[in-house]
Amino acid sequence: MSAHLHCENVTVSFGGVVACNKISLDVEEGKVIGLIGPNGAGKTTLFNVLSRFQNVDEGEVYLRGKPITGLKAHQIIGLGMARTFQNINLFNELTTLDNILIGAHRLLGNPFADILALPSARRIEAKLRDRAVELAHSLRLQDELDNLVKNLPYGMQKRVELARALAAEPEIILLDEPVAGCNDEETTELKATIKQVNQEFGITILLVEHDMSMVMTVCDYIHVINFGANLAEGTPADIQSNPNVIKAYLGEDY
Amino acid sequence: MAGQNTIKSRVDQLKAKFQRQNWLFAVALFLAAAVFPIFPGVEGWMASQASLIILYIIAAQGVSILTGYTGLVTVGHGGFLAIGAYTSALLAKYYAVDLVIGLIAGGLMSALIGFLLGLIFLRLSGAFMAIGTLGFAFFVGTVANNVPLFEGREGIFLPPNRVLGIEIEDLGFYYVSLVTIGLITLFIYGVIRSGVGRAFMALRDAERAAESAGVNRVFYRTLAFSISAFITGVAGVLNGHIVNYVSAEVYADIWYSVDFLVATVVGGSAVLLGPFIGGVFVVMVPFFFETLADFAFILKGVVLIAVLLLAPAGIADVLARPFRALRRHQLEQAETSSTDEAKP
Repeated sequence: MSAHLHCENVTVSFGGVVACNKISLDVEEGKVIGLIGPNGAGKTTLFNVLSRFQNVDEGEVYLRGKPITGLKAHQIIGLGMARTFQNINLFNELTTLDNILIGAHRLLGNPFADILALPSARRIEAKLRDRAVELAHSLRLQDELDNLVKNLPYGMQKRVELARALAAEPEIILLDEPVAGCNDEETTELKATIKQVNQEFGITILLVEHDMSMVMTVCDYIHVINFGANLAEGTPADIQSNPNVIKAYLGEDY
Repeated sequence: MAGQNTIKSRVDQLKAKFQRQNWLFAVALFLAAAVFPIFPGVEGWMASQASLIILYIIAAQGVSILTGYTGLVTVGHGGFLAIGAYTSALLAKYYAVDLVIGLIAGGLMSALIGFLLGLIFLRLSGAFMAIGTLGFAFFVGTVANNVPLFEGREGIFLPPNRVLGIEIEDLGFYYVSLVTIGLITLFIYGVIRSGVGRAFMALRDAERAAESAGVNRVFYRTLAFSISAFITGVAGVLNGHIVNYVSAEVYADIWYSVDFLVATVVGGSAVLLGPFIGGVFVVMVPFFFETLADFAFILKGVVLIAVLLLAPAGIADVLARPFRALRRHQLEQAETSSTDEAKP
């Protein structure tokens, strides 16, 4: 099994509602993979399983072959998997630079050496700061480093989230509705940024998105789920012509 | 590219200058506090009153770590004040322990209880955390009242204060307080400018995002509780030794907890200078209205509401605004002037 991320029969139920019913999927290394499905299909629940905010009733998730459902949320980044959130989830009272630096939290040394500003801690901090500034440049955030993120425009906040995820030096990033709430201009810009992250940084991407034109142009491969179960998978062209998918989105009559 | 570098270095120089100014301000404040007792017209009781202000500031600094930086509202820090006070009082009474050791032991005992409380309250936040910590303060008060070791309302009388073997009076106590607050302020500065402080603030602003970035919620929450309890515990040691008397009559009272929270919020809970302004405020208001004690309560309440409505970041933040605006202006000027120079 050479998949970067592999879900096997993931099942989650809340009381009587089965949010995920034996969902299995592979995310191939270095690709941009889309996860789509109508509202309530279980996409967000699956994402929460992957980032360990949700336990599974059955099944397992493998990240580079390692089972992760026994881990805590904060341990996931240590295995090289970062994520962004559906509704922007930034550290609002902090600056862009500090937001990016928290992304690099796992690269910090001993917290007590850090408090005492020991030479080793200062060296690490200086290096992380330089890297954060570099990242800000490559995501066109260099002029906002000292500004509070709550004062930034929406599209820019989305890029700060991406920069924060990248600061951890991940190998795979989960994007939960990266262009939700963006206008056309911001969507175009984010599409380019996602491509850039995938190609320039060589990072595998799994994204959930409702904007179909965005999904079809950005993704290499797509998984469709409906009512908590696998419905279809294939290239964007396959998915667009798949009668089951069309039925799921538009209903029986179409 | 050369132009780019000059802009960067000018801005960096300016930022370094601002940082030097901050340090200069802090050192000047400390030195002014150090020479204040030798001015003519300053009487002995004033040093004692100043020590009281300092220990209130320290207690509020402890609250600010938890409430301001980590976002967990505490209405129970009077409990940590009591733990610090009783730890040191018992050590002084039974083992004639030096005040310096008392300060460290009181802080550490308080930190230990803070750590345990952090674990117990791991799932609490918002109003539930406020109620939980309030319950903790009542619990500590009840223990002080009823466990024989703590001598209830009779109280524990302490021997004269000794620092490094030398017996001290009001003025000496003031200098002990001053050195203590200096060290604690440096410590807090160390915490908030480090990755640890960033982790606290990250948990405060967006808990899940912080965890996904690798912030261990259990570790950093209990660490914040421990540091916060340590600092307020140290204030408790000073509070016991300032009158050489520790009694449940005093420490079972919930008003300490309320005063510290009010001081932190009014001064500015996530600003280094905030607890200083808040500490002066809560000590001096009853002092000026000695004959009108009820009026002092009302005034505190009115000011608290006014601050929450008009300047939720606290008075320190309001005072800092013109300086921040000035600095931002200077930074922008530095950027544009360097760009102009770089063009031709």
